[in-house]
Amino acid sequence: MGFDLAFALSSVPIILGAVGTTLFVALVSCIGAAATGFLFEMVRRVGGIAGLLIGFVIDFIRSTPVLAWLYFLYFVLPFYGIRLGSMTVGVMGLSLYYSGYLAEVFKAGIDAIPRGQSEAARALSLSRRDAVIHVIAPQMLRNIAAPLGNYFVSILKATPYLAVLAVPEMLGQAFDIASETYRYTEPLVVAGIIFLVLALAISHGVKRLERRLLEGGAR
Amino acid sequence: MTLIDIWLGILQGLGTTAAVTAYGLVFAIPFALVFGVAQYLTGGVARLLVTGVIEFWRSSAVIILLFVFYYALPVVGITLSAMTVSAMVLGLNAGGYASQAVRAGLQALPSGQREAGAALGLSRPAILLLIELPQALITMSPTFVNTVIQLVKATALVSLVTLTDMTFRAKEIAQVEYNPVAIYTALLLAFFVVCYPIALAGRWLERRVAAPGSRADGI
Repeated sequence: MGFDLAFALSSVPIILGAVGTTLFVALVSCIGAAATGFLFEMVRRVGGIAGLLIGFVIDFIRSTPVLAWLYFLYFVLPFYGIRLGSMTVGVMGLSLYYSGYLAEVFKAGIDAIPRGQSEAARALSLSRRDAVIHVIAPQMLRNIAAPLGNYFVSILKATPYLAVLAVPEMLGQAFDIASETYRYTEPLVVAGIIFLVLALAISHGVKRLERRLLEGGAR
Repeated sequence: MTLIDIWLGILQGLGTTAAVTAYGLVFAIPFALVFGVAQYLTGGVARLLVTGVIEFWRSSAVIILLFVFYYALPVVGITLSAMTVSAMVLGLNAGGYASQAVRAGLQALPSGQREAGAALGLSRPAILLLIELPQALITMSPTFVNTVIQLVKATALVSLVTLTDMTFRAKEIAQVEYNPVAIYTALLLAFFVVCYPIALAGRWLERRVAAPGSRADGI
């Protein structure tokens, strides 16, 4: 049983067809992770008991594997009567897992803004809300753009985990072909190659974006 | 089954989790050192080849790599145990990440270090081994700790290629006992108990090293 090139090529269109699902899952998860991570970081900054608790939650998430979180959500939610599609559960899992990392990105992005900025906003008698929206947030966004891009690539690389929940992203499709034909090697190799090309292309794009942002900052 | 039984049942997989991690490090550390140094020293076509190998292991999704090697190696006549394939794939993936820390650590050294070595009449290998690497290894030690944590978490994947690690044990217990909340909470806690002390050690190390350019990222 060698490598059947014709069979491998026949699986290319099916796996390519799942690129959209992979990108969609990665994008939605990244947005979910950024929103949750931002919320975590805001609560942590306020401090008090809630801040300490969220700090612990962030550490806990970062000390545990994404696969365990996916199983946790997939099996625990129905136990409480919450029935969701496997793609929704998968996106929730990736969002939750990466929110712990993105909270740190926001922390670093905010910490890097000099104190004088918020002091100057206060001296100009801007309200706390206006100071955050017009002074802090724009500077923070530039600080976090590059790490956020890198985490998008990380999330993209984690999307094949969703195959264990039978989400039809690229690895899931490869397994579908494999279980129909009992030939695992060809579809998996094809999925591997397409995925590697996709990941390299996107991380290249992120690097270029990062360089442009750095140039913009050096004005 | 009581909660304690569930805990003990999951911890039966700790040996495999630890074994895959240790065995994975046997692949990761030499790969990171050899390829990190090679990327630092070489130029032109040689550097392109070295970068290509690193990017293959670093930019692929580790779950796809694991399945590809698990199913494809026997097809080309290489039969390895599930343990060896897992350790190799997870190890080289982690090694790919760590190689970037090695390279960055070497590049961050002031060129005066190398020049001083050359002025003392040391050969290039001697400069690398006696002057550059010892300093770079200290700078990158916190990143190495992070890589170990990532590797421990990635071992959850071996449950998908029939190894009885903690994740596999959790799934086995879930088949005989309908108590997903306790089982998957216990699984997350088990990983937390293993990874969090390593993360704290990494943070301590980070404060000790306090190298410019290294990130206070913890886990």
